Amino acid sequence: MTAVSDSLSRPALPQRRRGHTARPGLESERWHGYLFIAPAFIFLCAVIVLPLIKAFWTSLERTRGLNTMFVGFDNYVRVLESEAFWNSLWVSLSFTALCVAMHMAIGLGLAMLLNRVAHARAVLRVAFLTPWMVAPAIGSTIWLWLLEPQFGVVNYLFSAVGLIDSYKAWLGEPSLAFGSIVAVDVWRGVPFVMLLLLAGLQTIPVEQYEAASIDGASPLQQFRYITLPNLKYFIVVASTLDIINTIRMFDIIAVMTGGGPVGATEVLPALLYNTAFRANHFGEAAAIGVLLLILVLAFSVLYVGLTRTHAQEGSR
Amino acid sequence: MNRVVLTPADLLRWVLILAALAVTLFPFYWMVNTSLKPGPEVFQSPPTFFSSNWSFEAYRVVFETRPIGRYLLNSLVVSVGATALSVVLSALAAYGFTRFFVRGAAAFVLFLLFTKMLPETLLIIPYFQIMASLGLVDTYLALILAYSSFALPFSVWMLIGFFRTIPRDIDEAAIIDGASRLQTFFKVILPLARPGLVAVALFTFIIAWNSYVWALVLTTDANMFVVSVGIANLVGEYRVQWNELMAASVIAALPVMVLYGFLNRHLVSAITAGAVKA
Repeated sequence: MTAVSDSLSRPALPQRRRGHTARPGLESERWHGYLFIAPAFIFLCAVIVLPLIKAFWTSLERTRGLNTMFVGFDNYVRVLESEAFWNSLWVSLSFTALCVAMHMAIGLGLAMLLNRVAHARAVLRVAFLTPWMVAPAIGSTIWLWLLEPQFGVVNYLFSAVGLIDSYKAWLGEPSLAFGSIVAVDVWRGVPFVMLLLLAGLQTIPVEQYEAASIDGASPLQQFRYITLPNLKYFIVVASTLDIINTIRMFDIIAVMTGGGPVGATEVLPALLYNTAFRANHFGEAAAIGVLLLILVLAFSVLYVGLTRTHAQEGSR
Repeated sequence: MNRVVLTPADLLRWVLILAALAVTLFPFYWMVNTSLKPGPEVFQSPPTFFSSNWSFEAYRVVFETRPIGRYLLNSLVVSVGATALSVVLSALAAYGFTRFFVRGAAAFVLFLLFTKMLPETLLIIPYFQIMASLGLVDTYLALILAYSSFALPFSVWMLIGFFRTIPRDIDEAAIIDGASRLQTFFKVILPLARPGLVAVALFTFIIAWNSYVWALVLTTDANMFVVSVGIANLVGEYRVQWNELMAASVIAALPVMVLYGFLNRHLVSAITAGAVKA
């Protein structure tokens, strides 16, 4: 397995060597590298770059019936003036903030619990990862049944232990629906964070804890002065990645609520989908998509900056 | 056999671990439990946690009355197609990146990283428009292309990591022995990289198998539904037969679970390489 700090940053590539090294047959065939890369490069241009350009272009157009016309930034203006967009932005940001905070807290807790387990760690790791392995669409289908208002087991269990006094329509009321979606995403997202932080914890030398114990440091002090400083990079990277993943998340909402009730779970991807494929307003949907892209890119740039400075600090 | 002494702290640790495990796994238990119940028992209150009437009846019924087999076949064709395409292209690319000095390599790898972070909902709009204008909606080809678009950056990324572990001296030795570049790649390096290739292929397959939005948009004909779309679609039907729906979910989830069993060793590198579909 590669060192984790390595796998968190970008893959290393061959560097141009200074001067002429006498490596027979390698210097003369430098252009071969381009041949090997060309198929993937051309394919990516066709399936990602072109569609992206088309999406930008679509966001500047409006289709009415059979004729499509160029409208400049009018779609953006309409989107930014619509209440649905601001509601959606708020839902997206609060959903992401809540989910990521909970992923991190629970993920760190679990990672620390598992870190000291000697045997059965591999088995436990796989067991904890199951929610993340299953397709989000399938996981959400299971939760639809668990949360079913009349026969769902969640209602039964919660009322049996006295958490609720009557059966709830978990996906039928705005605040409950939002909470349910967050709960499902937490169930799905914790394993990812746990695994990253577990890998991070294993890079901390046990000697540090032993020395601290001998010096009489309490577990809390050990956490604060050893665990946290050592994990800082992992925590920052994991949460950045997690923000990027959570803000794009659509499958759970698509299967469970479609964005309802009354927009309570309509995150940006859901608004985009509903605008394009329910209301048939492709131009506005593309504009929403571009705005979402800008949001994601901001965090992507942050992520790249983080991993790059880390790679430079850890002289490799 | 050395005696294991449990301190109170260890005990607390295990209590917490097992409690977390119970919450994590309960939905799966409930899925399996429900799938094994006869129809009437599903709508019993209080629900039965262990039924004496467990049977595979719901599995039989869902296969006979719904095109689950067809969904599975569609998923299999599309996932295998996308995996084959991505792994072939990315093996070539990863070799190029790890063996040669390529101008702009760092920029290309950065571009890969950004493509892995694109919101797929933005891309499905132009995809739908392009596929509709080419008449490719409801074809395997459309789905294979779409799936490859998000699988390829991931597999290039992971394979670069694997190829880097194979020393370049091996290529040079092969070339000095008179092999051509392509021979070196196919006869020497690919066999050495096989464990990595298999792992990347399996991960790519899982990503494709689990994906939902693309197929949701690019298929309209129920005969072309992949398994995630087909099952989620059953939910919308009048009076859902939950035991049948859960049986179908078990069938859809099982292949992925089995594959992950083989991949435990590579999980961390795969996750950081962006195997995570949000």
